[in-house]
Amino acid sequence: MTYDRNHVVLSVRDLSVTYQAERGRVRAASHVSFDLHAGETLALIGESGCGKTTLNLALIRQLPKTARTSGDGVIYTYRDGRQADILKFSDREMRRYLWSECSMVFQGALNSLNPIIRVSDMVYDTAKAHGIGRDEAHKRALRLLEQVRLDPARVMRSYPHELSGGMRQRVLLAVSLLLRPQIVIMDEPTTAVDILTQRSILDVLKQLREELNFSVIFISHDLAVAAEIADTVATMYAGEIVEIGPVNEVFYRSRHAYTLSLLNAAPRLSAGAETLESIPGKPPDLIDPPSGCKFHERCAFAREVCSQTPPPLITYDDEHQASCYETERVLAQSEVTRKVAAP
Amino acid sequence: MSAIPADPPHATKAHADAAPTLGQRLRRITRSYLFRVLLSGLITIWAVTTFTFVLIRQMPGNPVDIKIDQMMQTQNLTYEEALRAAATLFNFDPDRPILLQYTDFWSDLLRGDLGASITRTGVSVSSIILRYLPWTLFCVGLSLLVSFSLGILIGLAMGYWRGSWFDNLMTTIASILSGLPDYIIGLLIIVIFGVQLRWFDIGSVRGGVDPTIEAGFTLEYIGSIISFATMPVLIYVLSTIGTWILSMKSSTLSTLGEDYIAVAKARGLSEQRILMGYIGRNAMLPLITRLAISVGLVVSGTVIIEEMFQYPGLGRNLFIAIAGRDYTTMQGIFLVITIAVVFSNIFADFVIGWLDPRVRVADGETAQ
Ligand SMILES: Nc1ncnc2c1ncn2[C@@H]1O[C@H](COP(=O)(O)OP(=O)(O)O)[C@@H](O)[C@H]1O
Ligand code: SF4
Ligand SMILES: [Mg+2]
Repeated sequence: MTYDRNHVVLSVRDLSVTYQAERGRVRAASHVSFDLHAGETLALIGESGCGKTTLNLALIRQLPKTARTSGDGVIYTYRDGRQADILKFSDREMRRYLWSECSMVFQGALNSLNPIIRVSDMVYDTAKAHGIGRDEAHKRALRLLEQVRLDPARVMRSYPHELSGGMRQRVLLAVSLLLRPQIVIMDEPTTAVDILTQRSILDVLKQLREELNFSVIFISHDLAVAAEIADTVATMYAGEIVEIGPVNEVFYRSRHAYTLSLLNAAPRLSAGAETLESIPGKPPDLIDPPSGCKFHERCAFAREVCSQTPPPLITYDDEHQASCYETERVLAQSEVTRKVAAP
Repeated sequence: MSAIPADPPHATKAHADAAPTLGQRLRRITRSYLFRVLLSGLITIWAVTTFTFVLIRQMPGNPVDIKIDQMMQTQNLTYEEALRAAATLFNFDPDRPILLQYTDFWSDLLRGDLGASITRTGVSVSSIILRYLPWTLFCVGLSLLVSFSLGILIGLAMGYWRGSWFDNLMTTIASILSGLPDYIIGLLIIVIFGVQLRWFDIGSVRGGVDPTIEAGFTLEYIGSIISFATMPVLIYVLSTIGTWILSMKSSTLSTLGEDYIAVAKARGLSEQRILMGYIGRNAMLPLITRLAISVGLVVSGTVIIEEMFQYPGLGRNLFIAIAGRDYTTMQGIFLVITIAVVFSNIFADFVIGWLDPRVRVADGETAQ
């Protein structure tokens, strides 16, 4: 996919989120910055517990009450060129923004539908909250359901329990586009479904993207899926974006040791590499994160400085950014491994 | 997906056939959901009725013994005198075998006759029920309506704004109320508001209506009925609302954690729509079965509250019948209660099916 690199729809600046938990403050997202362009698909990868969901809920301000968000701003650019900082929205402005500018397909979509109302009522509810009439909503919904390859009339009449998991997932995708948002956030949309459903959801998503040209933030810990769908990939570790760049850069010329480890641990992408290496240990406790580079305890490249000073985020060619002291060694190894793997 | 598969040829022919045979019709009826539910309801009613029939005769004493005791104490009669008097008073033979009493009961019942009261000579059981049931239906029905709807709303608000001062205050109040039995609440109200504060005159709230007012559809008469029902309704509501509040709150809390609530918020729905259409309706579902039991028990009245205020309801009559071992009256009232409970449960199944499509029952043919 190509996208317009001069047209930023969402500019996230130094965003941090902490949860107030009983054991202390959880730093679930720290100093996150990135730009999302019109028509761009950004994949967020990283192990479970790295803060991907937290970051995205912060972007639509739907975090639980125990969360505190801070930062320099989340600047949204409307279609007419107007700009606004989402963090400064009143509740009413936020409600208007939600879904009509930025919608979300939540993780665990199977329970995302109210079990006691029909799909059509879910559609009307959504439309009504944003001042769109029933007829218009109905028309749009029929068209979208067709685009996600469902039987529109039948699905509109159905209750959630009458639909299979894959069908529900596609209903959610259709409803997420009902108000024609510029941004759709999708949190692990292919995780809980079988491989065929996953295939069809990806195909549908690609096609819709062609036709409607929205931007996507796509969370996945399935790297093969991310590789297929993304323009840009961002690796998150312990609440930070440690590497971000065009998909081929990040996957074939990785500059952060964590991204490289993730790739070596991914069955379908590391095919050809001698061994499948899982990453030792697990992501750190975010109440008391490690000093220096948060990955140093698990990193095969780590040297002394890694545990003392956090590595700065450095920009390399083609807007490829990474924060790693051993970026050259990582890059060299990445190129060797991927050369074997690539066709 | 939705395409209707083409019928195989023989099936088409069967459809085209003229009217179904009697056998087919019968089979369709017996397979229908309603039929099965009604049948099991009738069996339940029969079983409970038989059980209570036997059980009430196992209580110590019988109507004649009890009357003899009373007469010996109140009128200073000897045992023989009292026995003779009691035997002429009641048309009841305590020595008749229980099996014959049972067949008498059913042969009367099948003719729609609940028999005559044993202790109230010349009064039929059905006339007692017809006379007192409306009072109970009005008083307890109104109480339940108030208690349930108020309890649901308060519990919903507490769950939604959990941790607020309102939640904390109401949790305390509801816990205390749900722990107090109705007679304690009744006594407290009478003592505090009637005796200490003199907000109302204790004497004037006994009964169901002011006997000096002529019965009829007049404002005065209806006003009097309402004013006499106030105290019993208040006490019933106070003694039952705590449980409704606490169960609705906990049900609301678990509903709030559901994904579809988070999604509804993210869709920008108004708070009111989320609260009523998404949280409220879902949170209410688990309470419907309990509501059905309460609705069924409305006819049994509230024995203690009715006795306390001399309210002319069925509960008080049941109390009197039990005290006097008036078997026939007890049987009649228990039968009415059983029927009400069984039918309100059947009704509840349909209400739940209406509110919750996941358990929606298909009448007639099996659901696809
Ligand atoms: N409501 C919460 N309260 C406290 N900690 C939380 C809460 N939600 C998530 N976390 C913590 O924040 C971190 C990031 O979680 P999450 O955003 O769900 O990660 P991911 O989506 O990448 O799996 C984890 O350490 C998790 O335990
Ligand atoms: S900075 Fe050091 S510890 Fe961190 S990923 Fe790079 S080499 Fe490993
Ligand atoms: Mg997640």
